[in-house]
Amino acid sequence: MWINYLKIAFRNLIKHKLYALINILGLAIGIASFILIWLYIIDELSYDRYHEDAKNTYRLVNVYDFEGVGENSASSPFPVAWTLKNDYPDMVQNVTRVFNRQAPRTLIDNEFVSYNERHFFFADSTFFQIFDHEFIMGDPNTALDEINSVVMTESTARRYFKDENPMGKTIRLEKMLDLKVTGVIKDVPHNSHFTFDFMASLSTMRKPYGGQLPKTWVWNPCWTYLVLKEGTPKTLEKSFPAFIDKYFYDAEKENVTLYLQPLTDIHLKSKLDYEIEPNSNITYIKILGVIAVFLLIIAIINYINLATATSAGRAYEIGIKKVFGAFRSQLVYQFLMESVILSLLALFVSLFIIELLLPHLNNFSGKELQIGILIQPAYAAILMMIGIGTGLLAGLYPALYLSVFNPIMALNNKLSKATKGGLGRKALVVIQFVISIVLIIITLHIYKQVNYFKNADTGFDKENIVILPISGTTISRAYEPFKEELLQNPNILSVTAMDDMLGVAHNTHEFRPEGFPEDKWSFYPALVIRYDFLETFGIKLVAGRDYNEEMKTDPEKGMLINESMVKHVGWKSNEEAIGKKFRSLQGEERVIGVIADFNATSLHESAGPFVLNIKETPGVIAFFLKYVAIKVADQNKEETIAFIESKWNEKEQGRPFEYNWFEQELAQLYNDEEVLGDLSLILTAIIIFIAALGLYGLVSFMAAQRTREIGIRKVFGAEQGSIMVLLSVEFMKLVGIAILIAWPLSYLLIDEWLNYFAYQMNIDTLSFLIGALAAFAIAMLITNSRAYIVARTNPVNTLKYE
Amino acid sequence: MIKTSELSKIFKTDEIETTALNKINLEIERGEFVAVMGPSGCGKSTLLNILGLLDTPTIGDFYFLGENVAGYSEKQRAKIRKKNIGFIFQNFNLIDQLTVFENVEMPLIYLGMSTKERKHRVEIALEQMQISHRLKHYPNQLSGGQQQRVAVARAIVSKPQFILADEPTGNLDSAHGDEVMNILAGLNKMGATIIMVTHSQSDAEYAQRVVTLFDGQLLAEKTHKVSA
Repeated sequence: MWINYLKIAFRNLIKHKLYALINILGLAIGIASFILIWLYIIDELSYDRYHEDAKNTYRLVNVYDFEGVGENSASSPFPVAWTLKNDYPDMVQNVTRVFNRQAPRTLIDNEFVSYNERHFFFADSTFFQIFDHEFIMGDPNTALDEINSVVMTESTARRYFKDENPMGKTIRLEKMLDLKVTGVIKDVPHNSHFTFDFMASLSTMRKPYGGQLPKTWVWNPCWTYLVLKEGTPKTLEKSFPAFIDKYFYDAEKENVTLYLQPLTDIHLKSKLDYEIEPNSNITYIKILGVIAVFLLIIAIINYINLATATSAGRAYEIGIKKVFGAFRSQLVYQFLMESVILSLLALFVSLFIIELLLPHLNNFSGKELQIGILIQPAYAAILMMIGIGTGLLAGLYPALYLSVFNPIMALNNKLSKATKGGLGRKALVVIQFVISIVLIIITLHIYKQVNYFKNADTGFDKENIVILPISGTTISRAYEPFKEELLQNPNILSVTAMDDMLGVAHNTHEFRPEGFPEDKWSFYPALVIRYDFLETFGIKLVAGRDYNEEMKTDPEKGMLINESMVKHVGWKSNEEAIGKKFRSLQGEERVIGVIADFNATSLHESAGPFVLNIKETPGVIAFFLKYVAIKVADQNKEETIAFIESKWNEKEQGRPFEYNWFEQELAQLYNDEEVLGDLSLILTAIIIFIAALGLYGLVSFMAAQRTREIGIRKVFGAEQGSIMVLLSVEFMKLVGIAILIAWPLSYLLIDEWLNYFAYQMNIDTLSFLIGALAAFAIAMLITNSRAYIVARTNPVNTLKYE
Repeated sequence: MIKTSELSKIFKTDEIETTALNKINLEIERGEFVAVMGPSGCGKSTLLNILGLLDTPTIGDFYFLGENVAGYSEKQRAKIRKKNIGFIFQNFNLIDQLTVFENVEMPLIYLGMSTKERKHRVEIALEQMQISHRLKHYPNQLSGGQQQRVAVARAIVSKPQFILADEPTGNLDSAHGDEVMNILAGLNKMGATIIMVTHSQSDAEYAQRVVTLFDGQLLAEKTHKVSA
């Protein structure tokens, strides 16, 4: 019996080659895309879960809220970690701090090579007890015990030592400290919320800080991780207010909140200030997940549509089988089996498609997804379930529908009526078009929002500005002479420096504006800058004046604030703010100028009060100068960069020259959106392709069913054009209905998505039109290409078969 | 009015070549009622298809209203067809999804007639066929005889000069068959030229001339007085 079923199944596939191809290809592409997204999502959800204690590991988050200004800090003050461990030994099992000197680059060299390293960190000796990394050499329990010791990754070790054994050898940090290699680990897995190439003992930093690590509870540069006993996080969080009260400074006590963030939540759910690396976004993962399910649904809908449409052709077979005693259940089995065979075939084909596309997806997403994971029993089982499940789901409706045929009707070929109405089939076509249109509209909006970000007026210039990271360099200690030398070149228009990247990140500094109560200090977002900042970045001055090098008191006594700050403090006009005082840790400063608002971080956040400040104490200047920004002329850029490099090399022997264009630094803020945009573009294209494939099959069948009618119409004078209209108009109606559903649905979804951004583009009506027109055009193209062939058929041939 | 000279139709498949019509010379005058007879597979329907401009001959000439249409394209033939020829089939070939009215109206739509004119013409044709009480019904709600009357109404609604009928009574009982034949004879009296393929000797009696085909060749012509 089963062999008979199989035989019929395969013969049917061969007999209906075109439909089998459409079905298998559509399903295979659907399943392949679904699995690819699935792999991507599995990877996104796997971040940091490879650490044995992952589910008990938390990061401490510090919220500083001074009536709307302040920060949500991913990092904490130096003393917090070990104080928590000492005060709550029952709950806190282990702690570690991770610190990077807040330096964007770290110069590392040895006798062979030197590099500006981006991933150099310091940590407590407990780091490798909490975070599991595979040691190739060295002992995780003791590697960071000694001062001046460092663990490096395998590939980093190769960069510095080639094939030599690095253990016990030294590398030099910022040309000051020699660090001994005490361990080599496998490269940090990509599914970690931060990557490091070096992890040095935090105790090493005691010396630069004068013998001990900073004890301040204000400065918060340490990412602080805690391993807690199971079931204790809630209790520990409850004791945080008392902890804050006991240790934090009076001025900020009331404004600080601490909470615990599960380690495994960081990658997808954390968007704090001072993240080690930009994180991903759970919303985007959800969007991808929904698209993946849509893809599979569309592929299944195709199958159902084609299978029921072809059913009329199987009527005779069913009739004969019933006459000769087949039970309905046997026919149901037969059709389900055919469907499952087809979907398993599609699954098989989809594996080839995945194999083909995976390298591209990896390339594009920066991931290391592997098809091999699917061989693991759990995944293989899910895969088979997808294959068989899709087959059963897709086959169930046609199976039940076909097996119910009355044998006499079937034998007399009177099924055409039953198969012509096809309300369910029309509904499925509408669903496909709704999904396609919604995705087209949403994808267009994602692209427009990214473009909007890139071109939005952020309140400062972005073009032709070169950024040099300079923390720890000679230049940071002798910045002014470097600037003077650069300005000798007529293509260098202006030079300034800052302690964080404008438009990307900033610190907060403590101030008390004039008129505020004595104890009311707030942490305001601020950048520490050098002269010519406004000029270099084209920031508008709206009242007062800019910093002036001639005015000797400016650095210590003057400050620039923005218009939002004027409003925040409550001064009536920008002019009124001039001369007003702010208390700061340096003493008293006066507002010398008010600048127009600008976006100090990404456009996900709105602009708020902001301070620009110059510091003058030499040690302080060096500490705060992390980037030089150089405005260059539009022409001769290559020569200008070469000139900057030559000046750099004069000052920084042995430190590699590195520069970035400001515009590109800013563009990285919207990487997430850009990747999402690209992915949804590709997926939309795939969905449209699958839907189009299905539509082609369906139109072919409908045309075949109407052959006789078309023949009659042609005998009585219908021309090709009118036949094409006849065949297309029904689908056009369906597209029309789909548009009516898709438009409001897209509006709701886009509105929801845009709420996530502080700055949003307007909902774009043109995109709605494009979505609708695209659907019409696709439907038109497919139905007409098919209708054209049918309309050309000689009625003599079609009526003859009656 | 219609003239074929040395007209042949050859069907080719991969393996065999079949001569369906072999050098047919036939002339039909305006107002004639011609019956085409012969055994199954002799080429009757093929001849009718060519005379009805549904198909083209492989070799030979075919003059329709003085024009040699043998090499015409489908589009050219469709233009002549819809103006001049009405068709009646053995199995009626009504469109199941259209009502009686809509089925009859169809040829007029393709002639680009106005709605008002169409309505008028359809009503007249249906009245003539005595089926106007059924104009909102669908074909499957009618008897075979009624269906064929609708099909005849459709064939005559555009007032064609020719009516081509392919075994018009083949699917009908004798009473309904006679009814249809009387209608055709009536139409012929009113001036229509009728070419009818039939197996039925009694149906052939209605025609003024009978041509017989055998193996694709014209065998004999017989002229007789119409009895009804």
